[in-house]
Amino acid sequence: MNLTKNSINGFCVVNIEGRIDTTNFNDFEKEVVGIIDGGEKNIVLNCAGMNYISSSGLRVFLIAQKKLTALSGKLHLCEMQPTIKEIFDISGFSSIFKIFDTQEKAVE
Amino acid sequence: MEERITILNKVEELAVLAGRIEELAEQWELPMPLTMNLNLVLEETVSNIIFYAYPDGNEHSIDITLSIVDGEITIEIEDEGIPFDPTAMQQPDISLPAEERPIGGLGIFLVSKIMDNVSYRREQEKNKLTLKKKTEL
Repeated sequence: MNLTKNSINGFCVVNIEGRIDTTNFNDFEKEVVGIIDGGEKNIVLNCAGMNYISSSGLRVFLIAQKKLTALSGKLHLCEMQPTIKEIFDISGFSSIFKIFDTQEKAVE
Repeated sequence: MEERITILNKVEELAVLAGRIEELAEQWELPMPLTMNLNLVLEETVSNIIFYAYPDGNEHSIDITLSIVDGEITIEIEDEGIPFDPTAMQQPDISLPAEERPIGGLGIFLVSKIMDNVSYRREQEKNKLTLKKKTEL
């Protein structure tokens, strides 16, 4: 897993590359929680480069959503690969998260 | 076609297992979405064994067999840990909003949704979990 950050239109955009699984979800959680604790309330997780996620990774998405909801912030997901979207659908996560086709729409 | 993979009950072994599945996917010419799903169900079931099956903290092996017969994929996972039936776990309520969704408890649920059939038996002091899925192969 590799994360890169940039700022667009008041959103902190985080690009996720690679796998999020049982072996690295702790690092992912630390990074994401660190960004929120650092004061970012509007976050886009760009999932274009994310090619695998297990329940450990989904757990971190849920933690981020709960934290940002409590702060009246926004969490937008975008550019998810179809196989990943299917996992979000099966988990019922697609109705919890705001998922956009493009990053352009996610930062509007 | 059949392949047997043996790993130890350590978290690092999950990466070894994922690597072996990738190799196998190439050999068996499995499509990418199916490979991802097989990786996922193995990670969810095997990580449970790694974390919870051996309270003694010692090294143990976990045996995994994958096979394809007439397009049906069968995965068998065996461990000598404490009795644990994943099929008896309570299913999460996936209709709850984010604030009410509990953190965790999704792994085995995903397995049961991805695979067509999940069955458990305790035999000769072993946990034996069998996962089946029909494919177009």
